[in-house]
Amino acid sequence: MRVIGVDIGGTFTDLMLYDSGSGAVAVHKLRSTPDDPGAALVQGIRELCANAGIAPSSIEAVFHGTTVATNAVLQHRGAVAGMITTRGFRDVVHIGRHQRPLHHSVMQDIPWQARPFVQRRRRKVVTERIIPPTGEILVPLDEDEVRQAARELRADGVDAVAVCFLFSYINPVHERRAAAIVAEEMPGAFVTASADIFPQFREFERFTTATMNAFVGPGTGRYLDRLERALADEGVPGKLHVMMSNGGVASAQQAARKPVTLLLSGPAAGVLGGVWAGAHSERRRLITFDMGGTSADIGIVTERGVIEASARDTEVAGYPLLVPMIDIHTIGAGGGSIAFIDDGGAFRVGPRSAGASPGPACYGLGGTEPTVSDANVVLGRIDPGRFLGGELKLDREAATRAVAALAEKAGLGLLETAEGIITIANASMAAAIRSRTIQKGHDPRSFVLVALGGAGPLHGADVADSLDVPEVLIPAVPGITAAMGLLTSDIKVDQMRTAFMVEGAIDAARLDGELAEMEAQLRATLEADEIAAADIGIVAGLDCRYVGQGYELRVVLPTGRFDAAALAEFHVLHEQEYGHASHDPIEIVNLRLTAVGKRPTIERLPVGSGTLAEALLGHGDGIFRADGELRTFRTPHYDRARLPLDERFAGPAVIFQRDTTTLVPPGWHACADQAGNLLLTR
Amino acid sequence: MTAITTRIDPITASVIGGALESIATEMGHKLTRMSYSSIIRESEDFGCVICDAQARQLCESPQSTPLQSGPIPGYIRGINRRFAGIGEQWNPGDVVIHNHSYYGASHQPDVGFIIPIFWEGELVGFSATTAHHLDLGALTPGSCGIVDACDAYAEGLQLNAIKIEEGGRRNAWIWQILRDNCRAAPLVVGDMEAQVAAARIGAERFLELIERYGVATVQAASEDLMDYSERMLRREISALPDGTYSAEGFLDGFPDHPDPAYRDLRVAVAITVAGSDLTVDLTGTAPQLDLPVNMPLEGTVDIAIYLTLRSILLDTTRHDEVPANSGLFRPIHIIAPEGTIANPRFPAPTIARFCSGNIIADTVMRALAPIVPEYVSAGIGNLKVVAYSGQAGNGQHWVYMDIHEGSYGGRFGKDGLDAVDTLYANTRNNPIEDIESHYPLRVTRYELNENTGGRGRWRGGLGSIRDIELLADGGFSLEGDGVRHPPPGLFGGEPGSPGGVIVFADGAEQPLASKFPYRKARKGDRLSLIGPSGGGYGDPTERDPAAIEADRLDGFAQS
Repeated sequence: MRVIGVDIGGTFTDLMLYDSGSGAVAVHKLRSTPDDPGAALVQGIRELCANAGIAPSSIEAVFHGTTVATNAVLQHRGAVAGMITTRGFRDVVHIGRHQRPLHHSVMQDIPWQARPFVQRRRRKVVTERIIPPTGEILVPLDEDEVRQAARELRADGVDAVAVCFLFSYINPVHERRAAAIVAEEMPGAFVTASADIFPQFREFERFTTATMNAFVGPGTGRYLDRLERALADEGVPGKLHVMMSNGGVASAQQAARKPVTLLLSGPAAGVLGGVWAGAHSERRRLITFDMGGTSADIGIVTERGVIEASARDTEVAGYPLLVPMIDIHTIGAGGGSIAFIDDGGAFRVGPRSAGASPGPACYGLGGTEPTVSDANVVLGRIDPGRFLGGELKLDREAATRAVAALAEKAGLGLLETAEGIITIANASMAAAIRSRTIQKGHDPRSFVLVALGGAGPLHGADVADSLDVPEVLIPAVPGITAAMGLLTSDIKVDQMRTAFMVEGAIDAARLDGELAEMEAQLRATLEADEIAAADIGIVAGLDCRYVGQGYELRVVLPTGRFDAAALAEFHVLHEQEYGHASHDPIEIVNLRLTAVGKRPTIERLPVGSGTLAEALLGHGDGIFRADGELRTFRTPHYDRARLPLDERFAGPAVIFQRDTTTLVPPGWHACADQAGNLLLTR
Repeated sequence: MTAITTRIDPITASVIGGALESIATEMGHKLTRMSYSSIIRESEDFGCVICDAQARQLCESPQSTPLQSGPIPGYIRGINRRFAGIGEQWNPGDVVIHNHSYYGASHQPDVGFIIPIFWEGELVGFSATTAHHLDLGALTPGSCGIVDACDAYAEGLQLNAIKIEEGGRRNAWIWQILRDNCRAAPLVVGDMEAQVAAARIGAERFLELIERYGVATVQAASEDLMDYSERMLRREISALPDGTYSAEGFLDGFPDHPDPAYRDLRVAVAITVAGSDLTVDLTGTAPQLDLPVNMPLEGTVDIAIYLTLRSILLDTTRHDEVPANSGLFRPIHIIAPEGTIANPRFPAPTIARFCSGNIIADTVMRALAPIVPEYVSAGIGNLKVVAYSGQAGNGQHWVYMDIHEGSYGGRFGKDGLDAVDTLYANTRNNPIEDIESHYPLRVTRYELNENTGGRGRWRGGLGSIRDIELLADGGFSLEGDGVRHPPPGLFGGEPGSPGGVIVFADGAEQPLASKFPYRKARKGDRLSLIGPSGGGYGDPTERDPAAIEADRLDGFAQS
């Protein structure tokens, strides 16, 4: 079976081809085409197939990580959307939680007021009301009003509608009926019911998610449609699948219905690539650290899999978003982050970035402000002659000038300043990792840091040091891990239902009945996607809290059915997460089910090897702090492709490959393993 | 610019500054997740702070409301004063509970838990959390709308520097007193336990920071960070023209009170800018009352002034975030004559001081407006806070606190923010789907009050209408303001619209004042709150025609 993974980023489109028959892998990289992202995808597939000498007609599936929906939200370019909501509650999406996003600002804008997904003139109200706790219908749905609202919206040129009713997460019957009426009255329109996206309480967040889905729906649908047709035109017979924020892939048709599940498509693929690489070296507790030019993404993986965000903590572009997603923490620190001394004398790095143009001063494209990359050049950690495989010659003088100007302002030496830039960038990344590990009860000393991205392997060891993480793993192709991650992912569908029950009055038979029903639905979805029954796995869980709390923690049901042991597990989890457990009764809030459809995934990458002598490219001056002072070390430069396998060697060393540079600081050791990973240890 | 003197290098200071902030963030995150009442977990009416040994704030949690974090140094100073008075001191293993409004607490319901942090036997700091509690045994249920409290004793338990844990030993009797004296005790005590747990985490993390960098380095960085914040604020004050700038504002007070001294209470503000110092003089503000609109000077008045000045002069849309530490207080001086509502004498009641503080904040902003016209808004709409309560079948009390938002006035180049918490507070509302799942209440309407923003080149923000019906017999009490006085316009803009309060009971509709004490209500009664809409900014005839057309389509048109 031949499959291709395509990750489209802002600058580059990365592709990876995998042939499960021969185990062969081919990679390709080309410039992205932001105006029509699919153009680079199709061209890339054509070129990749030509390079590999295979016919596009032999490609059985294409897996895609996309930023189309994300960009539509960030740039606020989407459909003319309408909304139908419960009478009396027209402005839930405008008032929000009545909290200002910034504490200390009179002049701020509130995203949902300044840039609403649905303008107030297109928010229609209809008579209906569902009430808790059972979802009883207090006021029946006035279907004529729905019909009338749909006609008005159609007349107004609306092509996407979100139907958002209070308490639909308990009883979605009104929302579904209204959505059906809207579909009748507005043929071809994109219709979303809030509970069908994610049936979770908190109306502002759920309604906003639904209106966002409507806003990006038509555009994402058209994009995926065009792609499918273009692939067919290329003679690619295989189905198109898209990576979702939850770390699974879905068929293009499924994804087009819920485009808000794609907003972290790319970063999620990156985390999965890290998981895959780690697994090949038997590492299962991972901190994935993906550092690029402008930002760094952090994900946490334990034996139980990739950690998911708690739904209330997730947002995109300042808007809340209630969908299952991998907990990816993004901070504004990358190779291009600019260092400066502000007016009050504080030494700051980022979040402003030099970006790709002009880029860091060392790119020689006119940038004059010192960046993290410039600091690495000054300290001899990036070799100006070998950046991007030598394609971009870096300007050491320009980097030095930029850092020297900052040094003068700071009243520090050149090297201290360069080191300071890196120290501050690393500290903010370490703080971000700390917030996802120590603060959640995970001890970083029991994790491996997987360094990804163009800049991750350069900073990995230092970041690991400040967290006492004992080992850093650098995958074979850290710069295109997302494309690889796409080839390692299974098909994944989630479902949840609200089921309030308190310890002592738990109706296990009812819970099991609901779980069985949910399971049957998910299996049917996957089987419709041509997954064999034997390849389907089910993971069941319960969202629980102490009675009265407002936030839940998830416990797993190993057998897929209710088990009282899960409640005991909740106390342990609460203690681990917050450092405190209570004796209060536990309340079950939601049933959660995830079905995973196994598919052929990439097995291993071919591994080359040589000897240390063969790998040696030469030496350079590397500057490191040792015994409290900055010293120059004669630092060997190695070619990663020719490193010997299973031979541990000492830092300092700099290891080059086309897509990244790995730094082995003094005191650290490096060892390339049989799985194709590079392992750094103390 | 004069040369900047620092104690340690700016790189280490930056790294420690980031570490301090992440400690406070973790405290806030955990407190929200562990707590029980919606006033903490949904409305985020809490604060988390680390202070140094001199009770100077080093950092605060960015979630939570600024009005809760800001007062924490005052709590610790108040406890120190009380300890000095009774010959007590901080010891390792202590946990102190404190809410005394005349010893630094913001007001009685905002209970602080403070843990001293010792390093090698020496006091090096404090980890503290504050939070608004649902009920602390006042004369009527709930902890808001107690607008008939005649003095501090009527507000409920006064806890003045009480060691709820002493030397590591839990004082079970104090917990028992709390359980016996608070209605809805399981929620209140559960929230308090969460506060203690969050404060412990802060103390632990601060010690880890000291272990990593050494106590001297952490202290030097702390001093540098406070100097830095002070410097940033002084720069902005220096850029203002020297002089004195004045404004006045009015509280509704108690419109139904027979004595006119209880109505239309004046807040007078005179701001003097001299170099990099700024003095706020409240002389001329109304005399204190024996009803609880008085404000603790320390904990309410000072915080309203600091936060408003900070939000104008160091607005985060123009400035990188400045560390929230005590350095920001140094350039600001406050004069508030004793015996006024801005500096009452014990035991004048203060429990319902929130809306008064908003008028201070709004008036400070208006006083500054002529010299920073592009950084301020026209008059803001004030808030209302309601306590709904009743007894369940088992005799247990339920209490629900609902915060009804105000709005901002028009701003330079921008319309006002619609339906938000304002200036010195930043709470969140409680989701309707949460309210109806937990209490015998039904929200029957929550919408913008159409076409009410003050006219102006940039219109005032719209207030909202929020109607809540009781599904069982119970009662409610209200503290609010802004029903008699509409938010003023600015620079030719017109005033906004006043708010309103209406009770629907027995088929009749009864308008009420912006404050009323606990009143019984029956199943089916409904309370309708109308938020004031902000004032307009600039001449309404200069408004962009496209904006006028959009207003018409969206129901934002001006009154």
